[in-house]
Amino acid sequence: MEIDIRKIDEIIERYDKSEESLLAILQDFQHTFRYVPEQGMKRISEVLDIPESKIYGVGTFYKALSLKPVGRHTCKVCTGTACHLKGAHTLTDIIGKELDVEPGETTRDGRFTLQTVNCVGACALAPVVMVDDDDYYEGSSPQDVLKNLRKYK
Amino acid sequence: MEKITIKINGKDIEAVKDQSVLEAARENGIAIPALCSHPEIETQAGSCRVCLVEVSQNGRTRLVTSCNYPVRKGLEVRTDTDLVRRIRKGVVELLLSRTPDAPVIQKLARENGIEESRFFVDEGEHYRNRCIACSLCTQVCEEVVGVSAISMLDRGRDKSPGTPYLKPSQACIGCGACAYACPTEAISMTDEGETRKIWGKEFKMVTCSVCGKPYIPEAQVDWIVKTTGKDRAFFDKCPDHR
Repeated sequence: MEIDIRKIDEIIERYDKSEESLLAILQDFQHTFRYVPEQGMKRISEVLDIPESKIYGVGTFYKALSLKPVGRHTCKVCTGTACHLKGAHTLTDIIGKELDVEPGETTRDGRFTLQTVNCVGACALAPVVMVDDDDYYEGSSPQDVLKNLRKYK
Repeated sequence: MEKITIKINGKDIEAVKDQSVLEAARENGIAIPALCSHPEIETQAGSCRVCLVEVSQNGRTRLVTSCNYPVRKGLEVRTDTDLVRRIRKGVVELLLSRTPDAPVIQKLARENGIEESRFFVDEGEHYRNRCIACSLCTQVCEEVVGVSAISMLDRGRDKSPGTPYLKPSQACIGCGACAYACPTEAISMTDEGETRKIWGKEFKMVTCSVCGKPYIPEAQVDWIVKTTGKDRAFFDKCPDHR
């Protein structure tokens, strides 16, 4: 994906030129580009005068930030205790097979990133699969989940 | 500098208010093992947990890391109680399971009566060589050297120091302070002829005009000249021949 340096600057411009803005900028990068590009981190370092090592450290620390492009949609399979008991691992395997990816990977067409997460805080609905930020699929059988995933383009 | 009296292992000791318990103890010849503390660092991270001691204050007793626990009036410290020994043994055992190949950790294990760690030794994907992830190297790079070439990356069991984007760092001056400071000798630095290799980057060394020994990276001289205004000619000779 070609990254537009003007777009990077536009994002950095929105915030105060202080170290406190770092995480907010990185989150905006993630949102806009679906990952945190190296050029973006370099640019922050120049504009905000923060060492690149610190920015990269923050970039690798947070799970919400990815240094590689993620798919247009993220499919998060909850593997918390309740979901685990309700077969989250089988669910992950089946979804992984359907999308032809391992957890943490992105499909070749860039449609999905498959992730396992520790708990989405909806244990009563186990097993839970979350797609993007707002779609929860509860108590799902693998067939249901696969059917639902087809809706996402 | 306010002088106060504290008790360590039942002995009265004169210390300076707010200095660390570790420092006060060592100044008085009381040994406390420690890995990640360093006198040149402003904030001791207290991350290796080896320097645990028992402190009693206002009738409460608890375990603290002595490297970053400030000395206050009326403080009573015990460095060798059963509790301290037991907990430290556990700490060292955990360190040994993470860095079974670090000689310093092996020695510490022997001193604490550990033959083999009971914990899972991960030699696969998360094997971290000798690094205990104490972050002293990154602190030294930032606070003492002032270049911030490395930082702690990732987290949890994958946490380890590294350069930005895992590429040779633009900021690194090859001074090797991180390698010298590292308590477990986990950072690889090799000097061969007039070339130093560290963090995947090569540095050309300046040679002493008297003995002909390569002794300091050019990049480090540039950095010192730039930040202190020192005369470049000063670095023609190594410290032994100045």
